Amino acid sequence: MILRALCVALACCPAAIAEVWQADQGSGTLNFSAIQAGADFTGGFGRFQVKLDFDPSKPASGRLDVTVATSSIDTQDAERDEILRSRDFFWTDEHPQAVFRAEHFQRDGAGWRAEGELAIRGVTKPAAVRFTLAPATGAAVMKGTSSLRRLDFGLGQGDFASTEWVGDEVDVQFELKLRPTIR
Amino acid sequence: MPARNTSQRYGSVAQSFHWLIVGLLIVQVTLAKIAAGLPLGLDKLALLARHKSFGITILALAAIRLGWRLFDRPPPLPPMPRWQLVAARVNHAALYVLLFVMPLTGWMMSSASNYPVSWFGLVQLPDFVGPDRELKDLLKLVHKTLSYGLFVLAGLHVAAALKHQLLDRDGLLFRMLPWRPR
Repeated sequence: MILRALCVALACCPAAIAEVWQADQGSGTLNFSAIQAGADFTGGFGRFQVKLDFDPSKPASGRLDVTVATSSIDTQDAERDEILRSRDFFWTDEHPQAVFRAEHFQRDGAGWRAEGELAIRGVTKPAAVRFTLAPATGAAVMKGTSSLRRLDFGLGQGDFASTEWVGDEVDVQFELKLRPTIR
Repeated sequence: MPARNTSQRYGSVAQSFHWLIVGLLIVQVTLAKIAAGLPLGLDKLALLARHKSFGITILALAAIRLGWRLFDRPPPLPPMPRWQLVAARVNHAALYVLLFVMPLTGWMMSSASNYPVSWFGLVQLPDFVGPDRELKDLLKLVHKTLSYGLFVLAGLHVAAALKHQLLDRDGLLFRMLPWRPR
């Protein structure tokens, strides 16, 4: 009887169940834009995993995990991608993943701000992601932005550490369709 | 030397456009040749960024020059056989077309290869096409082939001017030079 009541309650109020939302490259895009020779260009990552454990009514217990396969970087130019994978930038052989983890969420206008740590190329620094969550059928659409300074993470060794031709500031944009996975 | 063309020679404005663009074209070919031999890196990025900036400069100069030419008609050509008149006109027209088409194909090629163009780091130009590898390969071929075309047409233009100067001895070259024959 108790079991039956529980089942009914769960079916009626799925929001009451703690949920983890997930997305990967199949359900969204993770792009960035940077400056080369004074002009913006955009690129993206072809393989990544996003896990969001977040209840807007209890932001304190939220958690966001993003793991990006650095070798999946794609700027639509094979020669440039090769340089970005090399030791001078992501050094993907040694650091195959870039990771963002956040456990602090706070209201940010109509959306949220997740504060955590970003680890790229063996360097971990505080970073923040701003995002909005919108309901969709059987999913939630998470859209957001972040920004970082590439040189903070050693993205650009040797001559590439100069910002004369490759800007320091990198903007990140993502749009994901998160699917629930019941914990 | 008057600013405007006379019936005998080009004025200082038309001459400035002519020689400024000649100088920029030599710079362009040099930058492109050096860059083509380099692996991708900062040096190549810097050379090609300048190549693009100069190319856009040429595009703007060509537009102003053409406008000026409509306002200030060139001096008539000296007497010559009809086929030479036609050849000169066609060559001039083709050179003008290339002054526009070369920068435009280069600009589109930059957009297609996801290396958008900035004019000397001051102004970012819009992209009329998005990143597209096949389009980039096509435009690269067109840009390169047309550069050979420009080389040939400019060579004919110079050869014809020298022929008038050295064989016909009609002083035609001085029409485009700031000084007069002694």
